[in-house]
Amino acid sequence: MAPNSVRQIATVAKYELLKYLRGRRLLAIVLLTIIVSAIFLIVPPAIGSQYPKDPTQFTLNVLSFLGILSILSATFFGADAIVSEYESKTGYFLFPNPIRKTAIFVGKFIASALVSVGAIALYYVIAVVSVRVIDGSIPANTGLSFAYSLVYLFAILAIAYLFSAIMRSSVYSLVLTFFTFFLILPIIDAVGSVAKFKPWFSITFANGISQYIFQNPYPTDKIFTTAAPGASGVGVQTYSLAQYYPDVRLSLIVMAVYFIVAFVLSIFLAQRREM
Amino acid sequence: MEPIVIEHLSKKYGQFVAVNDLSLTVERGVCVGYLGPNGAGKTTTIKVMTNLLRASSGKAYLNGVDVIHHPKAALDGVGAVVETPEFYPQLTPAECLSYVGTIRGMSGEAIAERSHAVLEQVKLLEVADKRTGQFSKGMKQRLAIAQALLHEPSILILDEPTAGLDPRGMVEVREIIKGLIKTDITILMSSHLLYEVQEVCDKVAIIDRGSLLTYDSVANLSSGHDITVTINTLEPITPPEFRAIKALHDITSVKRSETLALKVSFSGGPEAQFRVLRGILNTGVKVVSYTPQRAAIEDVYLHLVPEGEA
Repeated sequence: MAPNSVRQIATVAKYELLKYLRGRRLLAIVLLTIIVSAIFLIVPPAIGSQYPKDPTQFTLNVLSFLGILSILSATFFGADAIVSEYESKTGYFLFPNPIRKTAIFVGKFIASALVSVGAIALYYVIAVVSVRVIDGSIPANTGLSFAYSLVYLFAILAIAYLFSAIMRSSVYSLVLTFFTFFLILPIIDAVGSVAKFKPWFSITFANGISQYIFQNPYPTDKIFTTAAPGASGVGVQTYSLAQYYPDVRLSLIVMAVYFIVAFVLSIFLAQRREM
Repeated sequence: MEPIVIEHLSKKYGQFVAVNDLSLTVERGVCVGYLGPNGAGKTTTIKVMTNLLRASSGKAYLNGVDVIHHPKAALDGVGAVVETPEFYPQLTPAECLSYVGTIRGMSGEAIAERSHAVLEQVKLLEVADKRTGQFSKGMKQRLAIAQALLHEPSILILDEPTAGLDPRGMVEVREIIKGLIKTDITILMSSHLLYEVQEVCDKVAIIDRGSLLTYDSVANLSSGHDITVTINTLEPITPPEFRAIKALHDITSVKRSETLALKVSFSGGPEAQFRVLRGILNTGVKVVSYTPQRAAIEDVYLHLVPEGEA
């Protein structure tokens, strides 16, 4: 008799992890993490400049790849997790078994989350160990920054799963996921500065808390006004630009809402999807 | 309780009706050939029964459990091969079997024992630890059959199980199915190969445009249609021999096709076929070969399925 869903979820997660461990994507993410970290650690002394004196700034420098790493993890481990079962016909092997599609979905998500968390954790470990070795200290709030990064990671991973549950092609799902977080939402965030609206609802804007939490005091919104020659060089025109910072509590709520909505919706769609 | 019960099953895609009010009951221990032209609704029916598609209306029960509302419980004792499934290229056949075996709640010991048995049965034991990424379509089809048999199911649902196999592979798969028929297993097997169905199955269901046209035993379906055999002889048949053959019981027509060949048609099933051969030999004709022109089931199929659809 088929076991309960919890055991089946563990089985799916186990074999998904095995697939990741033998695949190229995990290797690519790990190599990229190590290479990027190495660049921040090797380049300054190599060109004769010094590391930042401030350990917080040094940590921020090393962690500047964090956003892209999270996006790459969500893309590599989430964006085609569902659609590939249909597109590559592996669903014909897995689905006609006594297992709920929800259990398959959750098992896959757990495996994706584990490898993605592993990649982010590796990055933080490299950053923390480097700063500790070079500066002899660890910036305050590193743990909080890591926790916020994981909240962001789970949220964008859930959205990647949602795309994967909707799209008919793995390639489209991968491209949509990557460009949504790498290009589309950051553009909306940037437009907010010019148009002077705070994009608190944007998940990439909310992710800023994982970096700004290192700053003490936590930065607050600012409006900059600059003067420039007017049209045809006549008169002076003033321009104002806003610098918005995500509120920690609100950003955590926003990311949590994205996660819950995307996760539930993608389970619903994956369950209804037909081969 | 019959192992497979389909009641007024329909599946629609917008205006297109893939399966139309289909009802079919398969008795325990019976092997049913599920026939029909391309697009008739065979694979759609099988996909509904294996939880790959949702039915628009109607019911389907496997071992008495409603597969539409309780797929997990319904598929517990079912093995299925739908189309030619792909396998995760990073996993080996042994791991694929372990994956589905664990999902089905088999113990590690049982998985190891059964994996060895089924991989040997489908002749994949030598590549049990090679990753499936480089496997041919035929090897994947064999692995699909292995995973369907792993847990010794009481119901086996096969969607064109010999598709993609080379002639030797087709024969071997048919032998596997024939071996299973000796047990208590119930098999529903769709196929385009009519002679395969006639050779392997006890009963035949013919479907067209989503509707069931007939469901009966191979013997009953065959008995209503003439069988034509081509007889090749060592020497030319003399007029008295020709008349003697024509006079044999069961014979409906005799035509001389070549100097050393006759086409003989007769009604009845395999027993009539045997009687005709014995009768011809008794006339003194030196028979070199005695070949049925096509399977009797083929006549039934061609009679039921309109031209241009097959």
